[in-house]
Amino acid sequence: MSSEPFLRLDNIVKRFGDFTALQGISLDINEGEFLTIVGPSGSGKSTLIRLLVGMEEVSEGSIWLRSERIDETPANKRPTCMVFQSLALFPHMTVGQNIEFPLKIRGESESSRRARALELLELLHLPADYYHKRIRQCSGGEQQRVALARALAFDPEILFFDEPLSALDYRLRKALEKELKDLHHRTGKTFVYITHSLEEAMVMSDRIAIMRKGRFEQIAVADEIYARPISRFVAEFMGEVNLFDVEGTASGGLYGHGVEIHANGEAGAADIALPQGERGILMVRPEFVRFLVSGETADFIVRGILREEYALGSRIQYEVEAASGSRLTIEKLREDRFAGAIGSEVVLGWDVENTHLIREA
Amino acid sequence: MPASRSTKIALYLYGVLAIVILYLPLVSVGFASVSRARYLSFPIKRYSTEWYARALESPTVADLVTTSLKVAIIVTIVSMVIGFFGALAFARYHWRYRGTFQKLILLPIFFPQTVLGLALLMWFNSVGIIPTWKTAVVAHLVWIAPIATLIIAIRAYSFDPALEEAARDMGASTFLILREITLPLLMPGIVAAGLFAFLLSWGNFPLSLFTTGADSTLPEWLYAKMVSGYSPLVPTVGIMSVVGSFCILILAFAMTWLLRKARNNRPKGADNDTGG
Repeated sequence: MSSEPFLRLDNIVKRFGDFTALQGISLDINEGEFLTIVGPSGSGKSTLIRLLVGMEEVSEGSIWLRSERIDETPANKRPTCMVFQSLALFPHMTVGQNIEFPLKIRGESESSRRARALELLELLHLPADYYHKRIRQCSGGEQQRVALARALAFDPEILFFDEPLSALDYRLRKALEKELKDLHHRTGKTFVYITHSLEEAMVMSDRIAIMRKGRFEQIAVADEIYARPISRFVAEFMGEVNLFDVEGTASGGLYGHGVEIHANGEAGAADIALPQGERGILMVRPEFVRFLVSGETADFIVRGILREEYALGSRIQYEVEAASGSRLTIEKLREDRFAGAIGSEVVLGWDVENTHLIREA
Repeated sequence: MPASRSTKIALYLYGVLAIVILYLPLVSVGFASVSRARYLSFPIKRYSTEWYARALESPTVADLVTTSLKVAIIVTIVSMVIGFFGALAFARYHWRYRGTFQKLILLPIFFPQTVLGLALLMWFNSVGIIPTWKTAVVAHLVWIAPIATLIIAIRAYSFDPALEEAARDMGASTFLILREITLPLLMPGIVAAGLFAFLLSWGNFPLSLFTTGADSTLPEWLYAKMVSGYSPLVPTVGIMSVVGSFCILILAFAMTWLLRKARNNRPKGADNDTGG
């Protein structure tokens, strides 16, 4: 990765009539990076990607590629390419003709076009005789690969993906996620991927940008976003989570509603502190919560009743109703299965190093 | 649901009856054209193809065919062009009053053609245009171009706009997108629209009657001769006209088939023709 920004988005605003879809987006993308933009539908991620490839115009702000301004360059003159959600394969052309399309537009000779198409078929693990196949003769996964091959034939500076895996079934999607990550390594290209699926983002990306209501909420590596979300929205968007409202006390500790806090003043607790009267959210992921046996202690303790048990394959999920009325989620590996009966009283605990404080009221 | 025996019989009966009612009149015209007698009566006493020979020799019939063909061909080509761009305007672009425009432009299809013909004739007269086969072309277009637009629009609505966006994204100019993507994908619709346009113009009577002036098309002549001066030449020309339509139909099917075959057997790498 170079230290200079490869693609720079500078304070981009996009309005559709009275509606502001993007409200000041700034982001630097490094060369060779795999960046995923994640957000719920309506968060503006599709609008953003359409702006970047040139299918929409920015209302304000600018886009820079290698210190060259490109936001007024029309889509067909930009060195970027997108893999569409619908794939947008040309149904009246063969697989070969689809892959060669960008080369044909560029005026390359037939023989060099064909050589490149065959190379790309091989790169994407498609047999060479697919060259003559029609698009509708290909399966969903094969069509996916053809769309990728076509985009790579264009040889873009940046490859954009607009949720191309969303229409596939679970197993195929999982396999292609890994293939895509592998392809990213092999080609060394810059990939910008949008999805509403957190799992997809976590598996593939170097960095994840969480989008909400036309803004970036947090941009960081996957682990950071998972362990130290910046807001309640990010915490909840990134999978199951237990949250407690807390407030700073006069003694420099925390007071929490529905949670006993024993960590005040201990080592590692410095990060888990708030000025007096300030509010925050205490967060712990389900896999860090333990069922305490009598005599055992922890930095944070919640008492409640075991309500449900769900089998998630390799893991078991438990739902506990706390005395305060809130519900907690706990996850254990199957081998660490908790033996308590549904309806029994349980004590839950976790430690300060697995706890994160969100400084947001 | 498997049909019971009585249902099956009823279905066959229905089928046969429908076909008889549809085709029997045409068959009787066919008989009339090969009868030597002046008026059709059964059983036919003497068969003859004499009237076909006369029709082929007749300069009047040649004139009629030429006029009808001229009108139909021009109407077909213009309808296809108007229909193509009209359909794109409907399906691709969002603009104010689009919905209203769509409805207004399709409305002439539902006007009684005699009224439409009368209206056009009155309008031609008031602006001082003398009706000839050329005014008939205009009249046919008023009625047929909306139909062609409708047929192509159905095809245009069913194709993913992302295809055009993808082509642009990969560097194609507006002209190249039209040539490589839009036109080939709409081609089946355009061919169907052209076929309809030709057949509707070729067989049209009410609009032609009002707007051809001194010129005459085949359907007009058939009617005029029916009213006065009937001879077996009338059913003969009628049958020839039907056969003509039928040939066009077969030609269109053959063309589609050949195009598809050519596309599937295209030599490796040769793709300047993106076919339809």
